[in-house]
Amino acid sequence: MDYIPATEKDIKEMLNIVGVTSINDLVRDFIPAFTGKMNLPQPKSELELVRHMRGLAHTNKILRCFVGAGAYNHYIPSAVSHLLARGDLFTGYTPYQAEISQGTLQAIYEFQSFICLLTGMDVANASLYEGASALAEAALLSCSYTGRDRIFVKERLHPQYLEVLQTYCEGAELTLTDRIDNDTACVIAQNPDFYGNVENLHYLAEQAHRVGALFTTCIVEPTSLAILEPPGKYGADIVAGEAQSFGIPLSFGGPYLGFIAVKDFLLKKLPGRICGMTTDSRGNRGFVLTFQAREQHIRRERATSNITTNQALMALAATIYLALMGRSGLTTVAKLSYARAHLLNRKLEKAGFRNLNSKPFYNEFVVKAPRSAEELASRLLKKGIVGGVNLGEDNFLICCTEMNSIQDIDDFVSAVAGD
Amino acid sequence: MKIIFEYEEEKNTGHLQKEEEEDVCIELPDDISRKELLPIPNVNEVDVVRHYTNLSRMNFGVDIGFYPLGSCTMKYNPKVNEDAARAEGFSNLHPLSPEVCTQGSLKLMWELKEYLKDITGMDDFTLQPSAGAQGELLGVMMAKAYFRHKGEKRTKAIIPDSAHGTNPATASMCKLETITIPSDPRGNIDIRRYRESLGPEVALVMLTNPNTLGLFDENTIEISDLAHKNGILMYCDGANMNALLGITRPGDQGFDMIHLNLHKTFSTPHGGGGPGAGVLGVKSFLSEYLPVPQVVKRDSGYSLDYDCKKSVGRVRSFYGNFGMHVRAYSYIHSWGTKIRKVSEHAILNANYLQALLKDTFDLAYDRRCAHEFVLSSRRFGEKSALNIAKRLMDYGFHPPTIYFPLIVPEALMIEPTETESKETLDRFVLALKKITSELKEDPEMVKQSPLSTPVGRLDEVAAARRPNLRWRPSQRTNQSGSE
Repeated sequence: MDYIPATEKDIKEMLNIVGVTSINDLVRDFIPAFTGKMNLPQPKSELELVRHMRGLAHTNKILRCFVGAGAYNHYIPSAVSHLLARGDLFTGYTPYQAEISQGTLQAIYEFQSFICLLTGMDVANASLYEGASALAEAALLSCSYTGRDRIFVKERLHPQYLEVLQTYCEGAELTLTDRIDNDTACVIAQNPDFYGNVENLHYLAEQAHRVGALFTTCIVEPTSLAILEPPGKYGADIVAGEAQSFGIPLSFGGPYLGFIAVKDFLLKKLPGRICGMTTDSRGNRGFVLTFQAREQHIRRERATSNITTNQALMALAATIYLALMGRSGLTTVAKLSYARAHLLNRKLEKAGFRNLNSKPFYNEFVVKAPRSAEELASRLLKKGIVGGVNLGEDNFLICCTEMNSIQDIDDFVSAVAGD
Repeated sequence: MKIIFEYEEEKNTGHLQKEEEEDVCIELPDDISRKELLPIPNVNEVDVVRHYTNLSRMNFGVDIGFYPLGSCTMKYNPKVNEDAARAEGFSNLHPLSPEVCTQGSLKLMWELKEYLKDITGMDDFTLQPSAGAQGELLGVMMAKAYFRHKGEKRTKAIIPDSAHGTNPATASMCKLETITIPSDPRGNIDIRRYRESLGPEVALVMLTNPNTLGLFDENTIEISDLAHKNGILMYCDGANMNALLGITRPGDQGFDMIHLNLHKTFSTPHGGGGPGAGVLGVKSFLSEYLPVPQVVKRDSGYSLDYDCKKSVGRVRSFYGNFGMHVRAYSYIHSWGTKIRKVSEHAILNANYLQALLKDTFDLAYDRRCAHEFVLSSRRFGEKSALNIAKRLMDYGFHPPTIYFPLIVPEALMIEPTETESKETLDRFVLALKKITSELKEDPEMVKQSPLSTPVGRLDEVAAARRPNLRWRPSQRTNQSGSE
């Protein structure tokens, strides 16, 4: 397939204007010239391509999913993908030219608003890559604000998030610490944590603030915010995390949607794009990218972050999702996710599993299995179920959402119960 | 246009069964339960669909018209790639599914890496970084880890003044000091100044090639050789790879690392500002520093390998922006062995436009260009680049990148890409020429432009001075509906 419209006649005329006889004349200075043969596939027609890609997709197996751990299988209303596919939104880029980018800009403003309303924070940016690197950006922000270089992480942070934090700290020459003291830049806690435990983290915020550190709450399953106290209410200075749950498909791990929201006093330290409301030359309401003096294209080595491209389309998906679901829909998602997880937990307890959660949980929980994890996983697989994350020592991290029907739950239990 | 929070409270469409149908009893302690009503509105689906459809009509994308935004490679995004990424087998696959379920995805990722290795002349790739800037960040982290293992302390990065802002921003995130090298009169890096800046404290040279002026650095090989003689790593910002496919390979030019922006060269859609994908390629001696996990091919099938002791770790959760990998992979399959044609036509289109426009404006560097070129509108006075950009909207074009690179006054950076027809390019030239006469005949009108867009020029000063960055419930004038 070929997406080049130029005809032979066009090419000849264009070469003539440029003053060369062949396209090769234009690339003579590009050295060393590549003369080898690339090991690329044969060009495909659209029909061949469709067959090839379909074949690959069919090689994957989509089973009934009881896995969360940073990627959640929620229902996505049909209208989300239909609206998202509109080329005017889909094929634009960063809205540098506001007059012809009001669609993207207003959607970003709405996204920032949704994030603030859900988290109880003052201001949010236009999105970051995904949850783990968003949390790392929160740590960098804290260090830059406090002038300190130590980061405290509460136990049971998503292990991949911790790994990313370690990588960023290594690069930026920061240290993870196990003490909260006068050198601590920020205190980080995930809520609900990796095991699904929920708690009021007010005490941790106070501990952080007592020593002049910032308190960051990491949110990985944001549908929980529909029924849980927002972090802004228990003292968070920064909320960072993942919003894939809001209308974004699992897609084998990406693209997802990182977000960061802060209290007002940290606004000028925020990384990435921020959209603001203003007026145009005719007095109408409009939207622009603002506070760009923080960013790399203006400030270069003194920027708050190097982030440029973010996840605008995913932010749009989340915005449309939240608008479609509304207060009632989102609350239903949260209640059903909670209820299904608790139902499965009760049934598993009856079947001899032991719940290991130390606190109330939302839609994820950890159980110790009465027999080997490998055996259970393979029994579930035979029933077409991916039954959770094996944490070792026969402990399973299990997740439910509104997508797990009561029938699925019964199948799960019957697969693992008995001998 | 209303914002979504200004709709009257409506009956929610109800995409899920009501929780009343089940005995849902939430038993959460009071201190962790939400006390206030969730402050997001209930709007009916019809209004939501109209709202975002109308917003989309206030936007400009490649599907609407010519989008010569320099440095961003706004080429056509083939629709068939969208279907591929949306296939259920890809889009509904949980990243922690067992490997028996994920062979299709892993195969795709492994093959994509193989193709990219071949295209760039690199020995290994990671698909993990989410965007070019994250690819750069990873590259600089790997360079630091490499020198740490060698027992060398290197604290500086050499970056030309024409570079994207991300390069110095990334270096400084990793606590490297930037040495800025000016460009010479031909738009190359000033080789004398470059030579003087080399030394044992320099960790890497970050070069965009062709650079942001759209020029292939004529001293590339010498630059690489000099760096390597001083033990310095060569990093290529591959943002402009659209000029090089099948023509020359960064790996053969002496680069040790390169990030590619899949959303530029490999046609994955820009999405209004992302998602991108900033995959990173390296020479074999840097392979062991790549992030985990890596996709590997074994006799038993494809697998994720976490075993790499020198790895710098992860830069994000899971394996990267997989949906973008699918699109790029599909794109490469459509071109296959003929991929060189992409760059040939990108370069032809750019040179054609440059030839037609170089007398109307000042050409920043009078050489044949690669896939883009930079004009200066300085002969039309201050702010002329801005005014020309705004007026172009009235002619139905997205403006070029303006005021970048910073070293060219009143810069207009034009990248047509290979997917534009001669007819489109000719119309663009006519519009620009018409605007330059308007600048002479009716400059006030041009300063007022755009005149045909949904909003006029926006007050950016007011936006920063009185920030309104989110909707607040107190902004609602017609409070109605409650639960």
